[in-house]
Amino acid sequence: MLRAENLTKRYRQGEKEVVALEGFTYTFPRGATAIVGPSGSGKTTLLNLLAGLDLPTEGGVYLGEIPLHRLSEDERSEARLKHMGFVFQQWNLIPTLTAWENVAFPLLLAGWPPAKRRARALALLEGVGLSQRAHHLPNRLSGGEQQRVALARALALDPPILFADEPTGNLDAEAKEEMAALLFQAGKERTLILVTHDLELAARAERILHLKGGRLLREEVPRKVP
Amino acid sequence: MEVFYLVLRNLLARPVRSLLTLLGVLIATASMVLFLSFGEGLRRALFQELSRVGPAIQVVPEGSEGLAFSAYPEITPTQVEALKRAAEALGAQAVIPTLFLARGGLDPQNSFFFQGLPPGVSPDLLYPGLRAKEGRLLPSKGGAVVGAKLAERTGLAVGSPLRLSPQVTLKVEGILEESGGLADNLIFAPLKALQMVLGTENVGAVLVALSPDKKAEEVARALERAVPGLKAQTTGEVMRFAERALRISDLVRFGISLVALAVGGLLVANTVMMSVYERTREFGVMRALGAKRGFIFRLVVLEALFLALLGGVGGLALGGVASQAINLYTQSEVGLALSAVTPRLSLFALLVALSLGLLAGLLPAHQASRIPVVEALGRV
Repeated sequence: MLRAENLTKRYRQGEKEVVALEGFTYTFPRGATAIVGPSGSGKTTLLNLLAGLDLPTEGGVYLGEIPLHRLSEDERSEARLKHMGFVFQQWNLIPTLTAWENVAFPLLLAGWPPAKRRARALALLEGVGLSQRAHHLPNRLSGGEQQRVALARALALDPPILFADEPTGNLDAEAKEEMAALLFQAGKERTLILVTHDLELAARAERILHLKGGRLLREEVPRKVP
Repeated sequence: MEVFYLVLRNLLARPVRSLLTLLGVLIATASMVLFLSFGEGLRRALFQELSRVGPAIQVVPEGSEGLAFSAYPEITPTQVEALKRAAEALGAQAVIPTLFLARGGLDPQNSFFFQGLPPGVSPDLLYPGLRAKEGRLLPSKGGAVVGAKLAERTGLAVGSPLRLSPQVTLKVEGILEESGGLADNLIFAPLKALQMVLGTENVGAVLVALSPDKKAEEVARALERAVPGLKAQTTGEVMRFAERALRISDLVRFGISLVALAVGGLLVANTVMMSVYERTREFGVMRALGAKRGFIFRLVVLEALFLALLGGVGGLALGGVASQAINLYTQSEVGLALSAVTPRLSLFALLVALSLGLLAGLLPAHQASRIPVVEALGRV
């Protein structure tokens, strides 16, 4: 379970102090939570803080009982490796590694033996329908395929928390639908935190958090279409 | 897919840049190996020669220690007589006054090195194992015996005249078999004839042969006490002196090769720095996925070390080939292999190349591992 308490992030821009996020308090339950809001509302800042990629000016993030914001850089890296998976908007695959090697990368960090890494990576790629593309470099894959590789990579160590930042932002309609299906399927058994502009995508989550001006405006439970 | 594999994949992804950097390190290492191989070659040639010299002690004028024979003969007949008496009293087997004379120019093809021998002293007493291929081994009063390589190089044959001065002309009486040492490039001539050429009765050195039961160091010190103004050196002392001199020259040559090494190091640093700059986002992704700072640091340092190691091994091989080529030339010209790539030089070159890689990789690795994840990911 991931909990944010009075999460605040301020930074200086020249002489001016900018408040990117202020007093955000929320406990993320299992299932999909979408975070929506206009540009500059603090969505990316919030995700950075929740994932321990950045540190808050005030408040804290708790991973179960672990205060993520009090850990060192390397301890936060280890926490991310063990507990979190990421799917970014820009795919962010390692360009010199093939699809299966990209998926196996977190397993390498976790110290898995080579044969197990390969088997797990190939199984995950099969799960996202890319077993035929396992040995291709990222530049030989389409945008949708790259995003599915990124999802497989995020799931490599079966993390309880999955972050997705605009995961369908760069995809065409068909690839977007494929990706959304896979993402929400993966999010069923874990805490999925989805940052998006896309209200249609957000509506598929179990709850939506609306941010504006760095503040949590409201929480909404979308009406499901029967 | 281990860390090393990641390094390799990254270097192969930018083949031209990696190859050019590799060549830079390779050439820098090869030039260092070649520079230092001269010291190793000289060391090896010198020690081989000294180990072939028969007499255990060489007496030379004070101030010319280390040079087995002084450039100009300074030991007077009185000093030679005093040495003979002292050496006999100390149980020496033979006392051989000698001197060297060089004739010719800078061109090795036209250079002649004479060693003077007293009457009745055969060259094989000084260089054990020498044998005549043609003619005689012991030159007569007006004769000379020529080393194998010198004869081959200059075309001297038995019966050839050797004009040393208007007054002194010798006749070649023997050609020696090749021994692989200094004697191959010498002409052995009567001591008196060489003294006449130089217009002196002095000699350059006195060689003292001992029986195996005598301790050379003790006899040498006793000789110095008996005849002031002279320095008696054992073979070991000459070797130690030569080693000191060679070390200084090694340092000078290493200093020169440092310029090439610095250029090679900067090339590696530049390549790795460029690579770090281009891969900032990639490192950010790795960190976001759970890589610790040390992982990124190792990745970058290993890249620099790998380039340096490959360049070092290649440079060593190239230096070795160049050293062989130089030896082919110097052996044909002066009969000596002046360059040697010894195991310790090889090890030193590899260590220097690796240190270079490490130094060149440290700063980029530090930078790569310290960049904040959100900045690296462009998520600020």
